[in-house]
Amino acid sequence: VSGLVDLTIAEARDGLRSKEFSARELAIAYNDAVEQIAPLNAFITTTPERALDMAAASDARLVQGEALPLDGIPLAIKDLFCTKGVLTTAASHILDGFIPPYESTVTEKLWAAGAVMLGKTNLDEFAMGSSTTTSFYGATENPWRRPGDNRPLVPGGSSGGSAAAVAAHAALAATGTDTGGSIRQPASFCGIVGLKPTYGRCSRWGVVAFASSLDHPGPMTRTVRDAAIMLGVMAGHDPRDSTSAPVPVPDYEAALGGNLKGMRVGIPRDHAGVSDLSTENEALWQSGIDWLRDAGAEPVEISLPTTHVALPAYYVIAPAEASSNLARYDGVKFGLRVDGDSLDDMYEKTRAAGFGAEVRRRILIGTYVLSAGYYDAYYLKAQRVRTLIARDFAAAFERCDCILTPTAPTAPFAIGEKSDDPVGMYLNDIFTVSSDLAGLPAISVPAGLSEGLPAGLQIIGRAFDEATVLRVGHVLENAAEFTHVPVFGSSAR
Amino acid sequence: VPPMTSVADMTLPMRDDVVTDGNDRAAAIGNAPRAARGFFAVPKVVE
Repeated sequence: VSGLVDLTIAEARDGLRSKEFSARELAIAYNDAVEQIAPLNAFITTTPERALDMAAASDARLVQGEALPLDGIPLAIKDLFCTKGVLTTAASHILDGFIPPYESTVTEKLWAAGAVMLGKTNLDEFAMGSSTTTSFYGATENPWRRPGDNRPLVPGGSSGGSAAAVAAHAALAATGTDTGGSIRQPASFCGIVGLKPTYGRCSRWGVVAFASSLDHPGPMTRTVRDAAIMLGVMAGHDPRDSTSAPVPVPDYEAALGGNLKGMRVGIPRDHAGVSDLSTENEALWQSGIDWLRDAGAEPVEISLPTTHVALPAYYVIAPAEASSNLARYDGVKFGLRVDGDSLDDMYEKTRAAGFGAEVRRRILIGTYVLSAGYYDAYYLKAQRVRTLIARDFAAAFERCDCILTPTAPTAPFAIGEKSDDPVGMYLNDIFTVSSDLAGLPAISVPAGLSEGLPAGLQIIGRAFDEATVLRVGHVLENAAEFTHVPVFGSSAR
Repeated sequence: VPPMTSVADMTLPMRDDVVTDGNDRAAAIGNAPRAARGFFAVPKVVE
């Protein structure tokens, strides 16, 4: 069956149930696609045989008429989610050979819903980055290219492998995690949909920890409807994660549709002054305002005055938590060990060899801001800023129902372009990081081209109101009519 | 301004103090770079 990899989840679900094609045929088509995009280095591990086994189980249920919600849907999993019996690396040398004896809650839910696993996708080491260039397994390339320029571009990050795989039609959807923008920025750079749910909506159990108070698992898909379908399966209370919220999960797909009459969309004035926002991305933002107004929404000006200190606060809090979380990698219980003369020597040699430069930088920053002499000046102050950011959003949501911003300030850059400029790299997250600090749901939807490359718009919502975020995102998606395809898309193969 | 202690508006749940996992030595040491006689093995620390 031709064009199988071009279907959405919703379409594939219908095709499988009406027996137009089998889960096995779909899995074979995707296994082939995964092989064909090997030059992009989007996957660290591929699991084609597991995909066929899982597809066979789906076919058995489909024949019986007992189809599960995601039966036969082939997915890519960010290699930060522990998968039982399958190598899990966090793209770090220090997790060499780690085969988890357990399954993360989110992936367990996906498999229990009948989804099929294609493999584990590349990321920035320990999800620390915005370019998927710091992986021990090498950089991932964006399936897009600049017009008339064949230099490989970054897919964004940290969930860059997931974004590239979905954009190149080598996975129907993928899981990602978002700590400072790691789902939404790569979604924007690759021209797909990325949804960061509310903190506590999707369980973190079994997800390799970066910054525990900021890590959000979520879906990456080609359409907003598919994001709604995926979130419905991934979300839900998990007693194994003490920060998982005991809040009922609504039917997100049913929330889509209709106009936006009476909806107030907040436009943060403060964001317009951000110097790094490109002219094209700013123009796209204006289009987004017009599209939502045309759909019946009322744009209202709001103020998020702490935006300019969100990134500095993030780059204190996230490294602080990372330095604590990454203390566990000592060469004793799992992963890499480099032998030494003594136990201390072994710890030191293992950690020096196992962590890459960016991870070492963040461990050092984190250790510094948590040290006795500087705790109040940095860590505590950053947590105060976090309170202010949450208050800013609370005040804004008294005047509006959701907020529209660009997802990223600029178009994707070439691999290596910002590697010697960590602060320039950090600025990629300027529009996404606030909603991580405040734990609010946010989606990036492909809205147009900037320098001939995809650019997303972001909708931020109230806590646990993913339904509104998806509904408004769906309106944006329909208005934008983003039908551009990457150079490395399915039609080019 | 108080420092943020929890981004979510909820209190930490309590659960019964019972073992929910464990007693699986093979799984626990299965990923160890070095294990000996059912334990994690490290360089000697006592002379």
